Amino acid sequence: MNMNLYKHQITRRQLLQSGLTGVSLLLGGCGTPLFEDLVGKISEPLNQKFEGLIFQPEKPVPEFSVNEIEPEALIVNSYRYNPIIDTTRYRLVVDGEVNNPLNISMAEIQTLPLTEMIIRHVCVEGWAAIVQWGGVRLQDIIALAQPKSSVKYAYFKSADGYYSSWDIASVLHPQTILAYQKNGQTLPIENGAPLRLASPIKLGYKQSKWVTQITLVSYLSPFRGYWEDQGYEWFAGL
Amino acid sequence: MTVSLKNRKLPTQAIGAKIFHWINIISILIMLTSGLQIYNANPVFGGRAGLHIPAIFTLGGWLAGGRHWHFAAMWLFSLNLLWYGIYVLIARRWRSRFVGVNDLKALQKSHNPKRLTYAWHRIVYTSIIPILLLAVFTGIGMYKPAQFYWIVDMFGDWQALRIVHFATVPIVILFTIVHFILGRKAGGVELTESMFW
Repeated sequence: MNMNLYKHQITRRQLLQSGLTGVSLLLGGCGTPLFEDLVGKISEPLNQKFEGLIFQPEKPVPEFSVNEIEPEALIVNSYRYNPIIDTTRYRLVVDGEVNNPLNISMAEIQTLPLTEMIIRHVCVEGWAAIVQWGGVRLQDIIALAQPKSSVKYAYFKSADGYYSSWDIASVLHPQTILAYQKNGQTLPIENGAPLRLASPIKLGYKQSKWVTQITLVSYLSPFRGYWEDQGYEWFAGL
Repeated sequence: MTVSLKNRKLPTQAIGAKIFHWINIISILIMLTSGLQIYNANPVFGGRAGLHIPAIFTLGGWLAGGRHWHFAAMWLFSLNLLWYGIYVLIARRWRSRFVGVNDLKALQKSHNPKRLTYAWHRIVYTSIIPILLLAVFTGIGMYKPAQFYWIVDMFGDWQALRIVHFATVPIVILFTIVHFILGRKAGGVELTESMFW
């Protein structure tokens, strides 16, 4: 993946392996971070408050027409490997602060109403793609699990070890879905089959692929997400 | 010549104009460099295969760092522009301090090089204001494209919006150079310094 998505860290091993240690250190010194983590720690909570303030959780984002879909524009970004999941044996677990924990199969998920939407998928890197997603509204699944009134956040765990967390208002947005279709066809493995998050209101890295577990909680742990824990924004709302 | 220089009245500026210039120059520098850091994650032209901006011109060190700087300095930059706009209206500076019909007339009729420089300078620094507003406007569209979808629609599509937002970078750099040169021609180093000290 793109180098500059990761924080520039040089390990001792890399340092010793590098024949041009001095040169690479000099080059690494350019493009100064200049307290970026401190700046983020100060500005991000304020920005997040502002983002929460202007976010309209009930309001659907206008959708696109079929001829506006950009099949080639959606770049596949995965952080590790593509887990191969046997759809017939796949289970989605919904647990945490709920009265009715779920452990359901794909067949059961597909009996729930199908929601289709054509939305703009926006990546933190700056590119965007208009994609059609089909699946079940996350709010329908959450309702089945009967969440307690204390619930404020949802954790999403993926089969490849990826994890992220969302505010509950964004989880319950009518266009936040668990998708099993992309552009009218069965969801490909590299896009998160059998089940992935899709939503027009969050950046791409919040839209976990290969989701296997949803945990509803009233507080966030220090682990808030794979990219979030490295320094990317947690709210990441659009 | 030296006598006339000594007797010349040194230019003075309103404190509001000085504060605006200071905050503007600092916040724009942060916005440009952190913006170029974000640009490098996926260059507007050519995507990942496109030309990357040399690291020396970037701020933040990595994408998340660039974003932190960009989304912190955006408040400084846009709120500075906002209060200055209100100030210009209330203090009626727009009547005398920005380009007017008299400048356009001078360009057609005047043969006084000083007057011509003065007119050109006022045209240049007046026209950067809509560019700065455009940077904020397209920035809002990219920061919150779901809530401000109509901004994206106004520019056609996402890529067009990105190009317009990015285009403000070379325009601002070019403006800074021209503004500096015309300021020097119009009032020498005293004029430049009067805007900051």
